[in-house]
Amino acid sequence: MKHAAWILAATLALSVGTANAAEKMKDGHPDLSGFWAVKFERAPSGQALIDELPKGTTMIQDTGPFELKAGDFSGLKLTPRALKQAQDYSYKDDTKVQNNCKSPTMAFLMQAPFPMEIYQGRDMIVMKMEYMDMVRVIFTDGRGHEPADAPHSKAGDSIGHWEGDTLVVDTTHLEAGTMMNNGFDHTKNMHVIEKFRLSPDGKTLWATQLYDDPGTFAGYAARYISWTRKPGEYVYPYDCDPNYANE
Amino acid sequence: MRILIRLLVFLAVLAAPLAATAHHSFVVAYLPDKIIKVTGVVSEFRFSNPHGIVHFTVKTPEGKVEEWKAETNSPNVLKRRGWTKDSIKVGDVITVTGWPARDGSNLMRVSTIDLPDGKKLLGQAATPNAANDKE
Repeated sequence: MKHAAWILAATLALSVGTANAAEKMKDGHPDLSGFWAVKFERAPSGQALIDELPKGTTMIQDTGPFELKAGDFSGLKLTPRALKQAQDYSYKDDTKVQNNCKSPTMAFLMQAPFPMEIYQGRDMIVMKMEYMDMVRVIFTDGRGHEPADAPHSKAGDSIGHWEGDTLVVDTTHLEAGTMMNNGFDHTKNMHVIEKFRLSPDGKTLWATQLYDDPGTFAGYAARYISWTRKPGEYVYPYDCDPNYANE
Repeated sequence: MRILIRLLVFLAVLAAPLAATAHHSFVVAYLPDKIIKVTGVVSEFRFSNPHGIVHFTVKTPEGKVEEWKAETNSPNVLKRRGWTKDSIKVGDVITVTGWPARDGSNLMRVSTIDLPDGKKLLGQAATPNAANDKE
């Protein structure tokens, strides 16, 4: 009897462990699928990803709910072009009807405090972002980037591969767009490398975005973002309404 | 109907308020360390992204009539907190608590709105912990 109780307890412990652990796809990669809400953390639970960034990378401290004041560029050394743009910036320009619903690129959009849904296949991963209704397609079939003269866009051209349990996404072909929402843009030559990794229990998704854009700032910059998995929830349509500008 | 109008401004030491959208920086447009409370009658309520807008008419103690606007978080965020497009109705007497515009205009960002039936709508959270609780 005592022996049976031990077996039962061990079985239950194992089943709980299985339920909480990060699940894998048939191809053996972590399953990132599902609804993810931005997680507000006092200290990054995914510090390990931050530690993997190149030495000297400037962390931009405006992720999720946090924002930077005018003139605070989080320690980034801006080029004269970017600095002048920031100095000339007026937030009221953002509220004009022609700018009101202008989406940022994935370089700024991913950190916004809105949820996303991820659909994961073997050859591509789709990220359906709530903010500005952006849909990102990340090809994981081994293809390279589009030719240099291919169109640039808000989502850019993203190709991904797995390094162990980490999804590494390389994005080029971005339009110029918001770098920080206190006044300056990155250029169309911005190169972004993202790393996505699940926490061991599969409930948190960690990411870093590493930015390289010599036309905007010196060296590397990065953001850290984390999301909480919330099964059963959905992304809402954003349907940005430019009439807001006329209010 | 006698409309009770009061305009109360006070300073508060707060943790950095939380923006609900990255459209334009909250701290660039509003004073994050100052809270105002304004009561008036709703004349219009728009509940669409990127921000909801409440228009309301305020009568000052001196009898002067002022038109005010209160900007909310993204309606998508607010829907998850129970707001709907019908949460605020034209004619409602409301008290809006929030942050004033930096430019001194009659514009504010919504932290909470007290409704005529005693209910309180939660807009932008005032502290990181509060936002975390709501998310």
